[in-house]
Amino acid sequence: MSKASARRRWRESGLALAMLAPSGVILGMFVIYPLVKAIFLGRQRCGVTSCRTTSWHQYVDAFRSNEFQDALIVTLKYAVITVPIGLVLGVGLAVLADKYIKGVGIFRTIFSSTVATSVAVASVMWFFLLNPNIGVVADWLGGVAKTPGLLQSPDTALWAVSASSIWANLGFTFIVVTAGLQSVPKDLYESAYVDGANGFTRFTNVTLPMISPVLLFVTVVLTARAFEGFGEIDLLTSGGPKAKTTTLTYLAYGKGLPTSGDDGLRATVTVLLFFVLLILALFQFRGLEKRVHYGN
Amino acid sequence: MTGTIRSTGRTRRDRHNRWAIPLLVVGGVLAAGCRSNESLSNAGIDRKPPVTTQPAATVPTPPPTSAAPPVTLAPGETLPPGETLPPATTAPQTTPTTATTMPPPTTVPTLLDALPKCDTTALDASSGTVDITFWHALSNVNGDTLQKLTDQYNASQTKVHVNLEFQGGYDENIDKYLQSDTGNRPDMVQMPEYMVQQMVDTKSLVPTQACAESAGTDLSQFLPSALEAYATQGVQWSMPFNVSVPVLFFLKPTFVRAGLDPDNPPQTLDDLLAASKQIVSSGAATYSVALDSDFDGGGGWYVEQWLAKGGNFYADNENGRAAPATRVLYDEAPGVGLLTYLKQLVDEGGAVYVGDNASGTDTLLKLADATAPAAMAVSTSASLGPVFAALGGGLIPGITADDVGVGFMPGPNGGLGALVGGASLYIVDKGNDAKAAAAWDFITYLDSAQSQSQFTADTGYIPLRQDALDLDPIKSKYASDARYKVAYDQLLGSADAPTSLGPVIGPLEQVRKVTAAAVADVLTGGDPQTALSKAAQAADDLIANYALANGG
Amino acid sequence: MATSSAGRAAIDQIHGARRVGRYALLTVTAVIVLFPIYVMVVGAFKPGDKLFDNLLLPNHFTFDTLKDAWHDGHLGRALVNSAVVSVVITLAQLITSVLAAYAFVFLKFPGRTVVFVIFIATLLVPLEATLTVNRRTMQSLGWINSYRGLTVPFLATAFGIFMIRQVFLTIPKEMREAASMDGLGHIGFLREVAVPLSRPTIGALGLFAFLTSWNQYLWPVLITTDQDYNTVQTGLKALKQASLDQPNLVIAGTVIVALPIFVMLISFQRQLVRGLTAGAVKG
Repeated sequence: MSKASARRRWRESGLALAMLAPSGVILGMFVIYPLVKAIFLGRQRCGVTSCRTTSWHQYVDAFRSNEFQDALIVTLKYAVITVPIGLVLGVGLAVLADKYIKGVGIFRTIFSSTVATSVAVASVMWFFLLNPNIGVVADWLGGVAKTPGLLQSPDTALWAVSASSIWANLGFTFIVVTAGLQSVPKDLYESAYVDGANGFTRFTNVTLPMISPVLLFVTVVLTARAFEGFGEIDLLTSGGPKAKTTTLTYLAYGKGLPTSGDDGLRATVTVLLFFVLLILALFQFRGLEKRVHYGN
Repeated sequence: MTGTIRSTGRTRRDRHNRWAIPLLVVGGVLAAGCRSNESLSNAGIDRKPPVTTQPAATVPTPPPTSAAPPVTLAPGETLPPGETLPPATTAPQTTPTTATTMPPPTTVPTLLDALPKCDTTALDASSGTVDITFWHALSNVNGDTLQKLTDQYNASQTKVHVNLEFQGGYDENIDKYLQSDTGNRPDMVQMPEYMVQQMVDTKSLVPTQACAESAGTDLSQFLPSALEAYATQGVQWSMPFNVSVPVLFFLKPTFVRAGLDPDNPPQTLDDLLAASKQIVSSGAATYSVALDSDFDGGGGWYVEQWLAKGGNFYADNENGRAAPATRVLYDEAPGVGLLTYLKQLVDEGGAVYVGDNASGTDTLLKLADATAPAAMAVSTSASLGPVFAALGGGLIPGITADDVGVGFMPGPNGGLGALVGGASLYIVDKGNDAKAAAAWDFITYLDSAQSQSQFTADTGYIPLRQDALDLDPIKSKYASDARYKVAYDQLLGSADAPTSLGPVIGPLEQVRKVTAAAVADVLTGGDPQTALSKAAQAADDLIANYALANGG
Repeated sequence: MATSSAGRAAIDQIHGARRVGRYALLTVTAVIVLFPIYVMVVGAFKPGDKLFDNLLLPNHFTFDTLKDAWHDGHLGRALVNSAVVSVVITLAQLITSVLAAYAFVFLKFPGRTVVFVIFIATLLVPLEATLTVNRRTMQSLGWINSYRGLTVPFLATAFGIFMIRQVFLTIPKEMREAASMDGLGHIGFLREVAVPLSRPTIGALGLFAFLTSWNQYLWPVLITTDQDYNTVQTGLKALKQASLDQPNLVIAGTVIVALPIFVMLISFQRQLVRGLTAGAVKG
């Protein structure tokens, strides 16, 4: 029996290799290789024509520097604001639009539509809306929204950028959660209904567990997006005011920062960001995957 | 058959907490316990502690008299209506700390000899058409006009064919150029004004001076401040192409309501403060001036332009033009005086701070604010056309395009003289004489009087040579609306002093950013000396690190 | 007990006051979500200098702004480039993701978990981190200004593998066993069972892949220097420098650029509905 199963495993490995090869080659060459190179680049400081190797201590220096620490806090704040709110809103809308009523398709299209807007587009729109001089939001809200403006005040800037980001990601969350909801077998709901469970209980006992794989997926993606957010900050606030919206990615690639023109320092910051993300993802997986329910 | 619904004895919240608390603890420890209070720009660098700012006594030559050099007009130039020459004896706001003349640096041999040569006869000698690529960063109307000029050039002769390639914006163009190896570079590239030192350090250029000398080109018609902005260490590296300066925008009806003369906007800082007070006290507008701290705008100008206008250096080694700069000087008395003035403008003069101005339009839009408008704003001359058009479309109810006034950017000693913004054209050394000569030929075309007249009439830029003004279309444009000419006139008054050329610093954009942070600090109530000292410290680090990284 | 397309479970129907309430809630949220897009579309049809006249109402109407945006952003050629690049990337990502996800879920091989973790770790590498090195690779391969350069780095994605794996994991083991008793090998199972069951998710992945590549800016701009290879986002960036009198050039440009996506979205809605009622065999 062991020979047969060993042969099977051998064959399966061969097949697995074949199936993994396309992705593996691409990801290896264009993601992993640059990452490894970046790790070595991160201990160099670069000028206009050449790079100078300093030491691995550059990573420590960079991590402990004021700009990095500030950016780390800003990025964490940004994630803590955008991910839960985005998740709740997305799930809420998906559940709202899940019932079969006439015309629900139109609503579904509307809720998905933000996915059609790129970061650049969403940011431009929100820039106009939030502008203290000509935007409508400023007129409606008054106060800080007017002077100096939601994007210009150090206290509200990050929230304003978050609003733009949550809105832009709403479509994504909605579509993915809707796809997940559609996969929930209706007979489960019916059994629960027959058992006397009300709407809310059905939601917590049937819906949530059944869409938990999808929720995990959305959480991981939204968190990664929050940490890698660059475009919206570049377009809305350029990292200001007073560096209150300078996230780690903006610190690495924004204008006029110590990393400008220095590929080595840029690599240092991005590799550090990668490790922060890695640790975070590990926590998320360990913490959340236990609650995720799979069919197998 | 789909599996059971797992009902858990513990609630979701319990499971969350198992990881949330250790996560927070780890995060907190890492974040709080690790801060080193160093700047990111010093990561990996082992240097002696940066030199503290030296006292003024170490300056070799004594400061000159306190009056600014007299401002004269070039022959044939007349003053725009309403403008007067500032009196030559106006006492400056601050005392310059460095000499306006300096003995020629004896330690630097003629740099030009060591640089790639240019032989413009190579173009005539070559048979067939020479193809060159030109990377630029102009878009919209500006890009279209450049395209038109290029097409005209290509059609007018057969020696050179120019392939115009738009690279996105200045940032993308810079990234691409710096990341390309020799084989992938263009023959000609446009770089913004703050890139001079970096371009020099790429060691990839044929200095335009070499070509100008080889061809014997007459550069006498060029505005000195536009041309010399791109010369450093005794070499003319590139030729200006699109030139802009900051100017003052103001609403004439507001001036009239406040009892100020709409044809005579304030030019000195004292006048500006007085006018501001008058505007606010008369109730003509809620605020007097809209101020920003954009490092591409106010955050840079209020220090750079004002130091230059006042006859002071921004950085040592003659603003980095005699030799590469090693430190900034704006945390000394002149700079502090300027930011103290800004603070005063806000506290007493009713100026309003509009923020970092990431879009570049916030100061102008403050004029359009329906409920709490400002009366004046400093913005780039390139905004002229768009502002007139926007007002013509009804941006501000009751205000037409004619109601906007344009004046010199006020400064110590008055408004004449300014540091140029915009970009310049560099010739890339590809080891091919014919291509370099071809690039030079195209550059002389773009900088010719007729081309400049055409280019500046269609875009918001300023002619970089005087004889362009005698040609249509710019001649008619200036004749029909004198406001367009204000920016040009402001450049005319630039003195010959080395302080009237801006700083040439490798990491200039980053230095501007830390300086702008100081301006933002002051405009929100901070102390000028503290803010500037902090910024100068950061700037000096940036400069030192740049020198280290670039073989300095 | 299969759910037929005609017989939605009774649980799905709501009547009377609850129905009205739901419509109300849907409408309110739809208005909020749609608001920025509405402002954008209104602005795209306004002449440049009249944009600020009234941000909410389309009181002026013109096609000029759109025409200018089309021209200034060189959007014609750019649309073609973006379409080609996005379609290629989407198809490739679907194929590579499905294959890899299958291997991770249904095949046993040594080191499966470790390899999966490595694959997923690439999801955490920010795009910007890889840009410079990839650009240098492209330079040495000579792929600057080419479709290859624009597409090859994105033919596979951990995002897709993760997403498909999640849905493959919900396929019960019993189905695999039933299929192998029916004589279906791995490829057969993949083709006849796994893919059809996962259609909604695969469809969603396809949509996202298309979207992400359509909206990509940083990479296309870096590896093209020739305008002929511009994608729409580079064209948009050219418009971004639009000045005070025509800020809605950017908006008009984004309306044009986003239009194909909206069209795709609407068709995706139908696909999604069709996919679930026809393909879902559960219970």
